[in-house]
Amino acid sequence: MLGFVARRLLYLVPVLVAVSLLTFLIASLLPGDLAYVILGDQATPEKVAALRHDMGLDQPIWWRYLSWLGHVLQGDFGRSFRTGQTVLQAVAERLPVSIELMLLAEITGLAIGVPLAIACAVRSGSAFDRFMTGTAFGMLSVPAFLAAILLIYLFAVELRWLPATGYVPFAEDPIGNLRFFVLPALTLALAEWPGIMRVLRSDMIATLQEDYIALAKAKGLKASRILFVHALKPSSLTLVTITGINIGRLIGGALIVETIFALPGIGRLLVGAMYTRDLIILQGVVLFVATGFVLMNFIVDMFYAVLDPRIRHGHA
Amino acid sequence: MTAAIRSRRPAQIFLGAAFALALFSGPASAQKQGGSITFGVELDISGFDPLKVGAYDTATFTAAAAIFDTLVSLDDKGQPQPKLALSWTHSDDYKIWTFKLRPGVKFHDGTPFNAEAVKVNFDRQKDPANKCRCAFYIAYIHDVQAPDELTAVYNLNDPAVNLPSLFTIQSQNNVIQSPTAWKTKGDDYNRNPVGTGPYILKSWAAGDRMVLERNPDYWNKGHPYLDRIVLKPLPDAQSRFASLQSGEADIVWDDEYDPDNIQKAKKDPKMTVHTYVGSGAQVYAFNTKVAPFDDLRVRQALVMAIDRKKMSQGITNGLSIPATNPYGEGSWVKCRDDGALPTDIEKARALIKDYGKPVEFKMIISATPRGRNVGQVLQQFWKQVGANMEIEQVDQATIVPRAFMRQFQLTPWRIVDLADPDPQMYANFHTGSPVALANYSNPELDRLLEHARVTADPEKRTEDYCAVSRLINQEAIWFWTFQNTYYAISSAKLKGLPKIYSGVIDVSNVWME
Repeated sequence: MLGFVARRLLYLVPVLVAVSLLTFLIASLLPGDLAYVILGDQATPEKVAALRHDMGLDQPIWWRYLSWLGHVLQGDFGRSFRTGQTVLQAVAERLPVSIELMLLAEITGLAIGVPLAIACAVRSGSAFDRFMTGTAFGMLSVPAFLAAILLIYLFAVELRWLPATGYVPFAEDPIGNLRFFVLPALTLALAEWPGIMRVLRSDMIATLQEDYIALAKAKGLKASRILFVHALKPSSLTLVTITGINIGRLIGGALIVETIFALPGIGRLLVGAMYTRDLIILQGVVLFVATGFVLMNFIVDMFYAVLDPRIRHGHA
Repeated sequence: MTAAIRSRRPAQIFLGAAFALALFSGPASAQKQGGSITFGVELDISGFDPLKVGAYDTATFTAAAAIFDTLVSLDDKGQPQPKLALSWTHSDDYKIWTFKLRPGVKFHDGTPFNAEAVKVNFDRQKDPANKCRCAFYIAYIHDVQAPDELTAVYNLNDPAVNLPSLFTIQSQNNVIQSPTAWKTKGDDYNRNPVGTGPYILKSWAAGDRMVLERNPDYWNKGHPYLDRIVLKPLPDAQSRFASLQSGEADIVWDDEYDPDNIQKAKKDPKMTVHTYVGSGAQVYAFNTKVAPFDDLRVRQALVMAIDRKKMSQGITNGLSIPATNPYGEGSWVKCRDDGALPTDIEKARALIKDYGKPVEFKMIISATPRGRNVGQVLQQFWKQVGANMEIEQVDQATIVPRAFMRQFQLTPWRIVDLADPDPQMYANFHTGSPVALANYSNPELDRLLEHARVTADPEKRTEDYCAVSRLINQEAIWFWTFQNTYYAISSAKLKGLPKIYSGVIDVSNVWME
């Protein structure tokens, strides 16, 4: 097991280097010179040249990459030229919001998706199964911005049960905090549960046809025990992958949902950095998010090993 | 002080100095003390240190109007009124202006407000070592002197007959910040601004709420009315409006690209739609040094092919107000004849035919949904008259350098709402100016612009500027599509909002009924 973990960790190094290189290249190759952005309408050629020199933009790109990477490895991700904040400060301020949103959305998605999947798998082919599979397909096609606006109109404008936009830190007002998160988490969950349900349902149907399930039934085990203990665990490999990818994705914040509900998360930080051409922040946040995604995949791999002894001992 | 392009949020970082404030002076009986409001702004505020942010955007202006004061403010009729300055005089050539300052004013941190504070605010921005983008907008000022505690003298490079009204804008250049605060706070000053204004920054969570509390020691006794103003960035137009409907916000920023909600609010008795048609316009510049725009017939044909009413229907459901000159309803320049070319498809076709060669060109369009929409409408108009325009989508940040280097055939630009036309008209049309984008030189145009900036009599200046408009319209070196119109939607209980000069929604003196 230790060897497996070490091998997996080693794989991460080239991936992370590639991630940092791509991040840097994307930010550097965006059209619009940073010097022009900072100088704006007083961008005379001389001033641009002077500023480019000051910022090291006149250096070759590989040199800029290495020097940036060197700073990053020392924990210095740079400082926004617009706000004076460091990347770490900016991310630290926004991260709790995105993590809370991610957790609540995943929990809600799983809470809807898993029971439905089991119910459908048990009655596969029934009217209920067909109806739920169809509904899932429909929900999958509803874009987040539409679902968000519909939820806001229903729950905030018409019924006035929940706030439309905004945020309050959990430490300041726990109930208020959760009230602000209900609609955004629900919006994300509405797009998450169909995927969760569909993969778990089909894996579960396959598992339920295995011989050992038939044996368990023959032994007279309770149906609920067979379902939740014997069938669920081996059926959840794909589910873990999907959940892991979703979590990785949501670490970067949900750009659209955070924007619509005005949640001050990582996604909004990223959008703001793009609008204001704050490349230092942009670069730092993308690197952070990409690293988070890679690490999440690593954790998913580890989870596989826990769930399936064949992976742990085999040659996966 | 130059024009800027604005088609959606990102463009606002280029929005220049042109933002103003009006000190509201309504009937004394109706105002109510106390209470608080939440304002849904459309952008995250980056900060207040001009050295960092370079130029304020619309959300920052709203906050700056509450935290800081300017020397002068604009009244309801657009006339300059005393604020931190009590009075002003000028030399005969309008190049030396002397401001007498209000005594006894203190910054929120206790630092006294005086002529030295005014001078060091200016010096810090002007200092070439600081490389502040904000220096561009004060290029016309040579230096500021503080001969005594309450006298500030501005020495100008270029004459400005209407200088006080240029100081009313709530811009990074005009708001007076506490020198002690930026010296002691360093990098942190940007997010911890200190002014003399009616509200004090209490707390500010990044990307979330900014809480402003009433300044109990404000020099203008009895003001402000509200105890607290909360600014919340609500970037999405739909959910911003929903927040107003549900009562979470009391006032929200809006613009004509959100016509459905504006129409809905107009019909709702619980809401007030505040709107102001400023000076300036959304404009476009031909590069007259390159074919096919080196030919007057082509330029005139393209301008005559534009049907602004149809275009307004197409892009904003008819809310956009057509512009026929660069001054607009909000300007004191009113022309009996601005020389605008009529919409005339037949004439346009004939001109293109007369030109003889195929008319094919590229137009720079900002790569935003709105930019594309405008580009496609223009493309259709021009196709009708036999001209082929190819849309070149360009990132906002790229438009400015492209324009500066004249790497375009046709580019969007903007003349922002400013209390006096001189800074922008001179910069945009005088021979040799870096933003005289058309590459066009005309001694008569230069003469009119030079005359207008040293003439005090508004009627004579109006004659000059109307002649300028006729000349530009006839020569078709630039054209104007729509006027600068600004919107805010509030609860009907919110009272006392001044005119939205330059798009600054100034809530520093409002009250709730």
